[in-house]
Amino acid sequence: MASDFIAEPPREYFVKIIIVGAGQVGFNVASRLATENKEVVVVDRDAAALKLVSEQLDVQTVEGSGSSPAVLQEAGVQAADILLAVTDSDETNLVSCLFADMLSPATKKLVRLRNDDYTNFENNLKERPPHIDTIINPELELVRTVQRLLDVPGAVDVAEFADGRLKLIGVRLGPGSPLAGKHLWELPRKTGGYGFLIAAIVREEELIIPTGRDVLKAGDLVYFVTEQNRVFEALSLFDIKAETVRRALVVGGGRIGFRLAKALEEKNIYTKIIEKDPRRANELAENLNRVIVLQGDGSDQSLLSEENVQDMDVVITVTSDEETNILISLLARRMGVGKAITLINRFAYLPLVAAIGIEHVISPRLSAVNTILQHVRRGNVLTSVSLKGEQAEAMEAVAMETSDVVGKPLKNIDFPKGALVMAIFRGQEVIIPSGDSVIHPMDRIVILSTQKAISKVEKALAVKLEFF
Amino acid sequence: MRWGHVTALVGLLTFFVGLSMILPLGCSLYFREGEAARVLLVSMGITLGCGALLYGPTRKSASEALSHREGMAIVTLGWISVGVFGAIPFHLGDVFPSFVDSLFESVSGFTTTGSSLLSNIEALPRGLLLWRSLIQWLGGMGIIVLSLAILPFLGVGGMQLYKAEVPSPVPDKLKPRIRDTATVLWKVYLLFTAAQVLLLMLGNMNLFDAVCHAFTTMPTGGFSTRNVSVMSFHSAWVDGVMVVFMLLAGVNFSLHYQMLKGRPKVLWRDPEARFFLGLVLVLIAAVTVNVHGVVYESLSSAFRYASFQVVSILTTTGYVTADYERWPAFSQIVLVLCMFVGASAGSTGGGIKCLRVMLLFKYAYRELFRLVHPRSVSPVKLGGRVVPEAVLSSICGFFLAYVGLFAICSVLLSSMGVDLLTSLSAVAATMGNIGPGLAGVGPMDNFSMIPLAGKWLLIFCMLLGRLEIYTVIILLVPEFWRK
Repeated sequence: MASDFIAEPPREYFVKIIIVGAGQVGFNVASRLATENKEVVVVDRDAAALKLVSEQLDVQTVEGSGSSPAVLQEAGVQAADILLAVTDSDETNLVSCLFADMLSPATKKLVRLRNDDYTNFENNLKERPPHIDTIINPELELVRTVQRLLDVPGAVDVAEFADGRLKLIGVRLGPGSPLAGKHLWELPRKTGGYGFLIAAIVREEELIIPTGRDVLKAGDLVYFVTEQNRVFEALSLFDIKAETVRRALVVGGGRIGFRLAKALEEKNIYTKIIEKDPRRANELAENLNRVIVLQGDGSDQSLLSEENVQDMDVVITVTSDEETNILISLLARRMGVGKAITLINRFAYLPLVAAIGIEHVISPRLSAVNTILQHVRRGNVLTSVSLKGEQAEAMEAVAMETSDVVGKPLKNIDFPKGALVMAIFRGQEVIIPSGDSVIHPMDRIVILSTQKAISKVEKALAVKLEFF
Repeated sequence: MRWGHVTALVGLLTFFVGLSMILPLGCSLYFREGEAARVLLVSMGITLGCGALLYGPTRKSASEALSHREGMAIVTLGWISVGVFGAIPFHLGDVFPSFVDSLFESVSGFTTTGSSLLSNIEALPRGLLLWRSLIQWLGGMGIIVLSLAILPFLGVGGMQLYKAEVPSPVPDKLKPRIRDTATVLWKVYLLFTAAQVLLLMLGNMNLFDAVCHAFTTMPTGGFSTRNVSVMSFHSAWVDGVMVVFMLLAGVNFSLHYQMLKGRPKVLWRDPEARFFLGLVLVLIAAVTVNVHGVVYESLSSAFRYASFQVVSILTTTGYVTADYERWPAFSQIVLVLCMFVGASAGSTGGGIKCLRVMLLFKYAYRELFRLVHPRSVSPVKLGGRVVPEAVLSSICGFFLAYVGLFAICSVLLSSMGVDLLTSLSAVAATMGNIGPGLAGVGPMDNFSMIPLAGKWLLIFCMLLGRLEIYTVIILLVPEFWRK
């Protein structure tokens, strides 16, 4: 009797997650999951890093190396649903997964790997021990993010759903924008009714999921959804002209810079890359064919003007030093470059850079956090993307027949506050919904939700799935 | 400091205490005590009303994250508020001549001290007697811990509160989430309380007394429903049950949790539990030998009274089955030292805590060892694990603060005209949340001889002891309030 009383109550949404590595990625994933009421245990060797975690987050901490089986056992790996190995060392991550596989084969394992040598063996790692479920390569994700940004001119943030057929695009509303001062209910008249929906507004660092009564203001960061082939029509609403990128300059020839240059080269974009280290520059030149490799300091103004930086459509700064990246981007903007994409790793900088005029920010760590969260989501949630400032997430999910959201017009659904259906996919059809739209069973829906509403949305989508 | 957050949570705690008055109210109605029921109903109305008034306008901030500082302010102010509102039934019931006396009794209850101003306890209506026991039960595991277990939204902010209310030298979280930890602790607490009620009833105690005593044993409180405390039952069985449950209450509750989960060996493996239980055995043996033949004729009664008194004082409960002032000086000194040692960390007991005492000894020995081997690398270890130097120095700091405040408060009390032994023991007994002291506040007396200002001082001492000094004292430091 006593032990029954003390034993765990069977909880429907009980998810226990072990995070190995309390670095920036580990910390941020832990912070997001802890606010969503998941049980999180963070393992790290560094007592100081753990102290920071335990002081700020409602999670358990275990001091010790994540690659040690004894430590994993102490962290309760046998009872864990998911193990995230996200230390900075690929080797530690792999060994951690290996032992987790031995101790608890049922635990899902997600691992952050950066070295190509390892990621090339992705299939082997999945099929044989350590049976890794998902390998996350933040650098690869990053290159994809840059490509998406380049595809949509004027966009600050771009997310894709349904293999890219639906886009969620964030644009900054300039002071002269024709939409400034308009109510949202006035918009359908301008768009002529085709699929276009404003999903979120970021105003003064705060995210608003708008209703028809909200007014757009100059300076807002507006997120809208639209179909792939309507992107330019939608952008024209914001007075943004369709320009394709033809010339690009990459500053920094590390792993990310190299991947980027290679990707740009494949898209027939005229690309230059600047690298400081002569040996690395040589390596780059060996491996890149049409890209012009320049050896020099990216913050050197004379080098930039020598290479006609003002004629570039985009400058992408991806050196390992984020302060340098910020400075080079600012410099390039001043010299007349239309678009500067800046790599920033430290999360603390993200809210600041917009204030100094750097709009396009990419962050491998943020990409890693997003990708990890995508895989941790429960139920039938397929992908998830977080918006700028991380206050909201877009989730793609299948509407099961038993779900609460099926079979009623959207306006009659008691949807959690702070959440919004952005799109419905039915077969090949893409529907940008209005209040009268009805979700059918097996439709795929995209939902935008604030952090607070996420667990409620998860319930609304999957509450009845548990009975299958 | 965001005052909205502070008032919201203090209001919430107050509201909680108001709600809990429903139990004694029901009891009063059952025993047809019209006057007491009216008093409790009015008190409940006032408490709920004030709680709602504080919480209402600022409720939105209750679910937000709190800073470390706000956590400490909320906990201390919350405990003060709870003490004040807990005193209302005593005040309205005309139990004491002045409100300070009611407040003393209430704070003594919530902090599980068990020092009383009542000379004729049995004259109180049962509703108020139950309230007197219930506040000890609520305060024992902690009001914050209780609200964490019940209120879902105290997530991130709750953690700061938990740390301020349950300061532990080496923090241990049973569960990844603070809310689950709190729930588990309360379940263990509830289970033990229920078990004790049953066992006491087997010893022919009536339900009311059994519940009241279980409510004051598990939190190591010490309020009794009888004038002469547990002595009045004259039952070896009752004494035995009490000793066992006082010991249980004096052990770290995370160990209980693990034992109930089917790992009984943890009790023996845990160095602190070993130290605590070993200390209990040694002291019982010493006191038994000391009082045998001098006070008690038979060895069995010497053992019975010695063990009860040692456990009662060491776990900081404060029940009495014998007038230990008539015992030889050795036994009295042992008991006074027990007041300082206290129970285990993570238990409901007070005092300096066994874990700290243990580590202080190890630390002192390490310093000696270093004199012999100046070049040795000798970290202090506990259960095979190295104790970080930061933890050691904070324990030294705690010890100094404890002893320093003990000295200052005793001097202050004696300056009010209280005699030497009474001053020293009254402060030790209230800071350690024990209850009875020696001389003027001895086991057969009560605290009514303490002058008015002294009562205020002792109220402060009780809060200091319950919240382990820092959380309270920090509010008196100007730096804390600086923007």
